[in-house]
Amino acid sequence: MSLRLYRFLQAFILLALVVFIGFKLISGTLSLYINMQYMPLTVFGIIMLAIMTFVIIQHPSLESDEHEHSDSDNQHDVSPSALIILIVPLLIGVLIPVHPLDATAASTRGMNVSAPLVGSSQTREFQSAADTRNILDWIVIFNSTNDLSPYVGQTARVTGFVYHDPRLSANQFIVSRFVITCCTADASAIGMIVNWNQSAGLTESSWVEVKGPVQASKLGGQPIPLIEASDVQSTLQPDQPYLYP
Amino acid sequence: MDIILSMEIPTQRYGLSRILIWIILFGVITIILYSSLPSSTWPWLGQRLSVFATVFLGIFIEALPFLLMGTLSSGLVEVFLSDDWLARSAPRRALPAALVGASLGLIFPICECGTVPLARRLFRKGLPLPAGISFLLAAPVLNPIVILSTATAFGWGRMLLWRLGLSLLMAVSVGLAFSIEKDSANILRAPIFKMELSVLDHHPANETFLQKIQRALLISADEFFEMGRYLVLGASLAALLQAFISQTSLLTIGSGPILSVLVMLTLAVLLSICSTVDAFIALGFMGTFSFGSVLSFLVFGPMVDIKSILMFLQVFRRKTVFYLVLLPLLMSLLAGLAFNYFYV
Repeated sequence: MSLRLYRFLQAFILLALVVFIGFKLISGTLSLYINMQYMPLTVFGIIMLAIMTFVIIQHPSLESDEHEHSDSDNQHDVSPSALIILIVPLLIGVLIPVHPLDATAASTRGMNVSAPLVGSSQTREFQSAADTRNILDWIVIFNSTNDLSPYVGQTARVTGFVYHDPRLSANQFIVSRFVITCCTADASAIGMIVNWNQSAGLTESSWVEVKGPVQASKLGGQPIPLIEASDVQSTLQPDQPYLYP
Repeated sequence: MDIILSMEIPTQRYGLSRILIWIILFGVITIILYSSLPSSTWPWLGQRLSVFATVFLGIFIEALPFLLMGTLSSGLVEVFLSDDWLARSAPRRALPAALVGASLGLIFPICECGTVPLARRLFRKGLPLPAGISFLLAAPVLNPIVILSTATAFGWGRMLLWRLGLSLLMAVSVGLAFSIEKDSANILRAPIFKMELSVLDHHPANETFLQKIQRALLISADEFFEMGRYLVLGASLAALLQAFISQTSLLTIGSGPILSVLVMLTLAVLLSICSTVDAFIALGFMGTFSFGSVLSFLVFGPMVDIKSILMFLQVFRRKTVFYLVLLPLLMSLLAGLAFNYFYV
């Protein structure tokens, strides 16, 4: 491969990465992959890639082969394989439809109903109104509070996807969300068990809003929240399908 | 250029025909599978594939800026650090060299995706072997970003202190172990000394600052492509594992003082999580696993994982890579076991 072609392809792939990740950033789908707290780093990455593209495009080696040095110490192996492998992320991103982690992922990664997660948000959910708490807030409360009496009986209103766990009885399901600390590599599914007599009719991975009083249950000695559902409505997938600790 | 081109043609032909063979093979296998498997397999596979894509892109997008920081540092070092300055000023004796190398991460705050390209550049600039090895192993932990993220996850307490202390100790010992070998040609892969494009070496003597920056960026771009492929491979393996193999089954095996450490060490390698954020992931394991096994995860993961092994192979000879994996593995195992039996 001539150096000129090599440089041209390099610039092309870098530009494609800029467009690809830039598009994810602008369209908001970036939040399906990483915790948006790290978004500034991604912006830095996009800028770096763009600058590199620019430097390669305006470098003399791309304009014409005459500028090349034909000295004997030109020993760089310009193998095309390195370039081809970096097209893989682009192909995966374009060919496989964008889809947030769902019940399929939860089945291989495991479902946690009493996550030992300690986050910076610890104080927030204790003061918040019961119906504004999300699944993570409820689980953190049940995991870190000794006196649960103020919380038991409060009406929860949480949104999540349906997960049917084989260990549950027929009139139960888990309303679940994925918690992302950094990126989808560390995603872990958390969920609250819901008592609902039409549980079996709910489609796996579909999004629902569950309303009902919260009861304290026990799992392996650890108190966990359980919702006695009065209402289960199917709903649209939220813009931010993941929760962040 | 012409001479060189003619020399490259055979490899290029081989490369293209090999790629063609792979594509054809892949196509044939797909057709055979498609016709022989029951139709219910396909939705199942489709769902798993979308999990794979989401996890893969998560790792790739998250690691990309860190890889770019590493290659940028490497480019800047190449252009702005004179060739003999480092070789002259670095300590000659093994122990000081290893200690200096291990603390270099405090100046270059990068994770394991970035240390390999930078270490290679520093070797080329004449950094002594023990210093380079210690840098490679310690820098992903002993740097401001990772110290901050570990402290955020675990607080300024014993987990942070033990993580930093053990990483330093292990990196320096491995660095010292390699100082026995005096001839670096036995450790490093040969091509590392002649990998530059001629254009990059032929710069005018009176280069302006802007031209220097340009050259640094061009070097970074080349290195991004060279090291980026290992990020892609490593992220693919980690994502495949997460999409198809049940983590719960791994976790149920992982009780008991010995097995828990082994499971956490395996997870550290297979998950290939960037050292800047692995503390948060480790936090998720604290409920299920003992202090010692989580600590061994936090110490071993940044030194060795799928991505870094693939990148090591670009810089070192196979035998060196073997020891670079084995020595930290044994030491992390020992540390984890010691904590499980004597500390908690």
